[in-house]
Amino acid sequence: MLNIDCPWCGKRHETEFRYGGEAHIARPEDPAKLDDAEWAEFLFMRTNTKGYFAERWLHSHGCRRWFNVIRHTVTHEIVGSYKMGEKPPKLPKSAGGAK
Amino acid sequence: MAETPWITPAAIAETFPEGLKELPPRAQVNLRGSVTDSAFTDAVKAGTGIALPDTPNKTAAGTDFKALWLSPDEWLLVGEGEAASLVQKLEAALSGQHVAVNDVSANRTIFELSGPHSHPALMKSSEFDFHPRVFAPGDCVQTLIAKSQAIVEQTGETAFHIYVRSSFSRYVGAWLAEALAEYSVAE
Repeated sequence: MLNIDCPWCGKRHETEFRYGGEAHIARPEDPAKLDDAEWAEFLFMRTNTKGYFAERWLHSHGCRRWFNVIRHTVTHEIVGSYKMGEKPPKLPKSAGGAK
Repeated sequence: MAETPWITPAAIAETFPEGLKELPPRAQVNLRGSVTDSAFTDAVKAGTGIALPDTPNKTAAGTDFKALWLSPDEWLLVGEGEAASLVQKLEAALSGQHVAVNDVSANRTIFELSGPHSHPALMKSSEFDFHPRVFAPGDCVQTLIAKSQAIVEQTGETAFHIYVRSSFSRYVGAWLAEALAEYSVAE
């Protein structure tokens, strides 16, 4: 189980949160101008990162805020969390918690 | 007289051990607004005497009501007064502002857990750390109690108010009674 650091409430147990998928996917400025393939690319296509990954979490049973977390998809190491609109924390130099 | 609906904790209240009881319904008002907007915080302070806490998971007392921090722009005002008059007062004081004031008194049932066994009973019901080193009187937290979403407010050294959704209240009441049961065995 993960201990996730909510930027408002502090470290809480994973069961209080909902996962929100990959972070930093900007909605197209003018969706009407996209063709189906481009829209599908925005809507469905996500990177399948092995390593550090920026993802969204919702503190659904707490303050009900969305925020971002950098987590290593293999080791579950969490580098840090940051509010929407903030700059992500610096990644460690190593490939990430090799185990 | 109508039968007690099976879903309310009243139906099992007589099985509650010492240290657990359901509190009579209290006025609960949900308030939303920007804590950085002094027009908003000043009007709330003038109307209720409450300086809205902007530190997460803290409470603040006012004249008749207290405020529980729920999120960066949301508080739960709780008191024994009347919800309708508080809503009216706040709406008048905050008219024209970008705020939300809602009477949510029926939303949550409040349990009081108190006595020397309240800490261990709470600790085994939740994954949140209720140890006195991190959680003290005046703090509140939204977390899971027995897998049900709850607001827990510490009201004294060994006293807690637990706010749960009314539809979960009988389940949570029964759980807390069970959690306390092992401590009430005569020594």
